[in-house]
Parts: sequence; structure tokens; C-alpha cells
Amino acid sequence: MPFKSIPEQNFVNRDAELSYLKRLIDVKDSAIVNNVLLEGTRGIGKTELLKQLYRSLFWQGKNVIPFYYSFQRATLKVAYFAKDYFTRFVRQYLAFLKKDPSIIDNMSIPLTKLIPLFSTLKLTWMIELIEDFQEHIKDGDLHEQLLGAISIPAAVAGKSGNPVLVMLDDFHLATQLYETHPGDVPGLISLFERSMTSTTSPHILTGSPEGALEMIFTDDSFRGKAERMILRAMPEDAAFSMFRSLCAAFGITVRDECREFMKFLGGNPLYIKNMAKALWKMQRKEASLKDLWECYSYEVSDGETAFYWSSIFRGFLTDLQQRRIAIELLMHSIESHCEVRNLEILSKALGIPVPSLKSVLDALQISGIIQTTGSIRPVRDNILQDFIRNLYLREVEERDPEKIRKLIESRYQLQNNATSCFEMTIPMTADAELVAAKAIEQIGKNISLKPLVITQLQLAIIEACINAMEHSGSYDKKVLLKFTVNPERIEIAIETPGKRFDPDTVKEPTIEEKLHSEHKRGWGLKLMREVMDDVKVETIGDRTRVVLIKNIKSEVIN
Amino acid sequence: MVVSKSLEDVAVIYPQGYLNNLVGESLEKECNACIGKGIKKIVLDFSKTKFINSIGISILLSIIEKLKKHNGILCFTSLNKMHEEIFEMLGITKYALVFRNEDEALKHFRVAVKE
Ligand SMILES: Nc1ncnc2c1ncn2[C@@H]1O[C@H](COP(=O)(O)OP(=O)(O)OP(=O)(O)O)[C@@H](O)[C@H]1O
Ligand SMILES: [Mg+2]
Repeated sequence: MPFKSIPEQNFVNRDAELSYLKRLIDVKDSAIVNNVLLEGTRGIGKTELLKQLYRSLFWQGKNVIPFYYSFQRATLKVAYFAKDYFTRFVRQYLAFLKKDPSIIDNMSIPLTKLIPLFSTLKLTWMIELIEDFQEHIKDGDLHEQLLGAISIPAAVAGKSGNPVLVMLDDFHLATQLYETHPGDVPGLISLFERSMTSTTSPHILTGSPEGALEMIFTDDSFRGKAERMILRAMPEDAAFSMFRSLCAAFGITVRDECREFMKFLGGNPLYIKNMAKALWKMQRKEASLKDLWECYSYEVSDGETAFYWSSIFRGFLTDLQQRRIAIELLMHSIESHCEVRNLEILSKALGIPVPSLKSVLDALQISGIIQTTGSIRPVRDNILQDFIRNLYLREVEERDPEKIRKLIESRYQLQNNATSCFEMTIPMTADAELVAAKAIEQIGKNISLKPLVITQLQLAIIEACINAMEHSGSYDKKVLLKFTVNPERIEIAIETPGKRFDPDTVKEPTIEEKLHSEHKRGWGLKLMREVMDDVKVETIGDRTRVVLIKNIKSEVIN
Repeated sequence: MVVSKSLEDVAVIYPQGYLNNLVGESLEKECNACIGKGIKKIVLDFSKTKFINSIGISILLSIIEKLKKHNGILCFTSLNKMHEEIFEMLGITKYALVFRNEDEALKHFRVAVKE
């Protein structure tokens, strides 16, 4: 079928949208809106919805002529665009008349070869339209070529008596049409407005992200003729059943616990599909939540999803300098979580001059990565966030890809359902460590740890707190504790600002030495190691974190 | 913070609660006082001790050292399982006698149990 659309039975959860768009064509009253601006984040399924609509119109007897055109960065030069648009229309119309879908994408038939085919159909007016267009090409009149192309659907609707449904995918790119070099004739897009006022050729325009298209149309009279439709995320149930059936097709069974992951994917069919493929590539037979996180860290750094986003980045941010600015800017937006209205402030925060920021923001807008007109909206898509993190770590911090993957994975390792997490801060005052010890006592009781194990955890915490209090030179005089409990282990992180210490350089104390020495202290680390399964010392910027780990094996539980 | 009693030439001392620097210091003071009075058999009973931290341990080492100098004997009694394991691991038990409880230690010193 045309343009590799997915089989009808696999297209889920868009019944309402599809039937609404099908009815569009029946509206004959010119007072009623019959153009649709279909907006949605990238990968949400705009193109697929158009393809499904196309297929259904193509085969049904109602004689509505479907026309699909996808704007591409490579064909934005008016001379190419006009010819491409016109030729595709003619080809699709012919395919529709002959009910032969193979003609639609057959690029090897040039315009001139199409003329005899129309003469066998006795459509002389069509031949005239084609010849007129070719005249404009010969004359080199760009304006007439563009007008001829854009108005062809309406012209055919008028002559044939059959309405044409014009579907323009990624229409936000049309703002970039140019004559000789990008940006030379900014207003070309307004030519579409005229063709959209015809009731016999309603248009569906798509754009990313949400809000991308409303900015395009400046003509108020036109605005009243278009209606906005936002394609939203798939609800969790639909998303999960889609994921399950995709996995089933690969012979993978999916555990119920994986439902939770759909929320994280934001009901985005592109991500759902890619995750199913990733599981298959990693040869999973059964998928647990843990498998999903593992595959995810791969998917977002080296998999198909990463490829999807990086081709968008590469395509729209060709200049290396620009790309770097974009990465820093997006990273900033992720970390600050807030909408930015004032470019001056952003420029100061990033140390990047306003004009450079502006051009990068334009590129980001047109690529559909984020909405930047008016204000810069933060990236909310989890997957895009992680992709950007990955780019940042790779290109700005120049970290090793393997490590980056681990980093991303570890962000989510503890997001397990059964994980509970407690945090507390204690002051650096006498016996404050006993308060922390009391906390772990209750946490231990909650999961039925043996009393001996609880005292061991308490002792280790006491030691870690004492260490932190004695060695951290912090001003705020506070120790941060984080207890993370999951079915496999308990992790207690004790964190303070202050110098890192390397546990490997701490000399192991012995009784014999200490008995004869003035300095009898220094048993803390040894004690912690004795009672815990693992003790790690980590540095995060200027903070030091000691992580105490106890594995939950059967012998530690009552 | 520490409670003690003397029975002839033996002193029994009970560190209370959390054996940290504070309790540790008064424990050390108490031991020194005993040694000063000529009592060189000291029983440390941990039945009332909940935690011994690393500072507590270093203070115990000072007491061991001091008693050794005066040819005294140190006993640990009523250690909980964790503390016993830790003392064992650190090697502290090589420098003290360990008994299950106070009575056993006193029996060892052949002292009649009086209230
Ligand atoms: N309702 C659906 N049911 C099943 N699969 C779908 C559905 N919608 C989209 N898909 C699949 O999800 C993927 C992404 O969809 P699509 O390419 O249409 O998104 P888009 O919004 O056009 O994205 P872009 O912003 O990249 O243009 C495609 O592989 C498509 O086949
Ligand atoms: Mg698309």
C-alpha cells in the first residue's frame, strides 16, 4: 500500500481522529471550517494517521481524491518544490483513477510520460493543466510555477467534480521555502492560504511540536477557516496493548509489571515500537521491567530512537558550533525545568551571545524538537531528555559511550515498583547519628530483617555519620542520608560536602599497632566493611558520598 | 553514664547505652580511679550497652593498655552477638577475657556473689 503504511489492524487508538478527518470532506458549507491543523510532538503518529486516511480514501468508492505530500528539507527550493509537488499530485491522481497504488511512488515516470496516460482516460483538461505548468517551467517564472503547483488540487477538484483532500505533512517546513538561498523570500507560505479557502479541497496540515502551526498563519481571515487538532499521547492501556502485540509478533512475552514503563514512554507510538524492536534485537524471550530499562539505555544512546533523534539534530543543526550551543541550551532547559522568556538572561546563564542563541532557537523550532516562539518551553519528553543528556555527555563532556549508557541506566535502576526510598538530613551535633540509626531500625523492621542485621546496619550508619561529621569541612553542618530499599538490597548513602577520601589509601589498622600508639582512632571504615556487604566511596562534584550496601539474602530475613 | 561496683579486688563497670566519646571518657575515668585504688581486676559488663562505636573502641584500647601496664586483668561480659563478632574480628578479645555474663567472670575471680 502507499508509502509503507502499517496494516489497518495494527493501527490502534485513533478511531475518533480518523473518522473525524474522513467527515471533513462532507462539509460543503463554505462558512464552516474545513481545514485542520494537526499538531503533536514528534513520533506521536501524525504521518501514520494521514497514511491510514489516505488508504481508506484511496479504496473507498466515495470519489474523494486523496493527495499526500511530505515536506522535506531537501526540496525547499521553489524550483524543485513546485515541480515535485505538481508531479506527485498528478501521479497520485492517476493512481487513484486507475486504482493502481504502484504508480504513487513510481518516481521513474516523468511528467511528460504521464500525459499520454491521461489522454487514454480522455481527460484533456488535465493535459492542459500539465502543459500550462510546463510552460511556466520553460519561462523560468518561479512565482507562476509555485502558484501552479499549489493550486493544482483545487483546479482538479473544480474540473473533475470530485473533492480533493490535501494532506501536507510536516507543513511547518513550508516556512523555509526559498528561491535562490534560504531565507530570501520569507512570505512564500502565504500562497497556500489562498488554495485553502476552496471548500472542495480541504487541507490537513501537520506540524511539530504542539503550537508549531498557529504561529505560521498571520492572516486573521484565514485563521477562522482552520481548526486545530492535537494528536495526544496514547492512553496507558492502549499503549500497553500495542506494546504487547508488537512484542508478541517478535515472539516475546511481556510481564505485567512492564505496564509502568508505558507511562515513561509517554504513550508515544514511535518509542513503543522501537522498544519492542530493541527487545527483539537483544534476543529477549520474556521481558521484565528490568529488561526494559536495560534495553532502554541502549535504545536512547545507540538504538533506533537515538538514530531518529540524531538524524533530526544532524539535519537541522548542520553547523558544529550551532549544534554545540543547541546541546548546551537544551541541557540547561532540562535541568532548570522552566519556561524561558528572556533571552538576555539565558544568554548570561550560558555565556552565549543573544544572536547565536536566536539562530539556534529558530533551528530547534523548525526541527520540531522544542517550541521556541514566544517562550522556550522545556523538553518534557523523557526519551528526548535522555537523548540530550547522552549527547551532552558525549560531545560536551567527552565521556566514554559505555560509561554514558551505564549512567543512564543507573538513573533508573532504582525506579523499580518495589523500591522504597527515605531521605533525611541530620545536623552535625552530638548523638545525631542515633536518630539515623533509629530510622534504619524501623526500615529494617518493615522488611522483617533479623535483629542482628538491623544492629549491623545501625552500627555502619553510626560510623559513616561520625566520619562524615569529622571529615567534612562543610559550612551547613548537615549530613544527608538516603535509604533505598528494594527486594534485592538495602543501600544507604551518606553524603556531605567536603573532600573525597580514598578508602584504598586508608591503612588497615591493627590492634597491636594501635595499642602502643598515641593515635588509637581510625576503626570506622574497618567496622563498616565488617558489617556490610559492600562500602563504596563516591565523589559527586565537591561532595563525598559513602554508600553502604547490604544484600538481602534469605539469611538476613526473619 | 557508667555505673560501677567494687567487690573486694574486682570492679564491675556497666557502660550505659551508647559507648561513644562521652560515655567512653567517663568509663576511662572510672577505670583509672579503680587502678588508682589498687583494683586491677576490671569487669566491663555490656548488658546495658546498645552500641559501641569506633571512638568507644579506641577508648577500650586505652583502658587495655593502661591495665596491661599495671599488670591488671580485663574481662568483657554480656557482649551482644554483633559486638562479640566485632571484637573478635578486631583482635581485642586477645587482650581481655570474655565471659557470657558478670557471674561467670566473678566466679573466675572466685568472688562470692554479693548484692
Ligand atoms: N495509532 C498507531 N498505532 C500503531 N502504530 C502507530 C500509530 N501511530 C503511529 N504508529 C507508528 O509509530 C511510528 C511513529 O509514527 P509517525 O511517523 O506517524 O509519527 P509522526 O508524528 O509523523 O512523527 P514525526 O514527528 O517524526 O513526523 C510509526 O512507525 C508508526 O507506524
Ligand atoms: Mg511524520
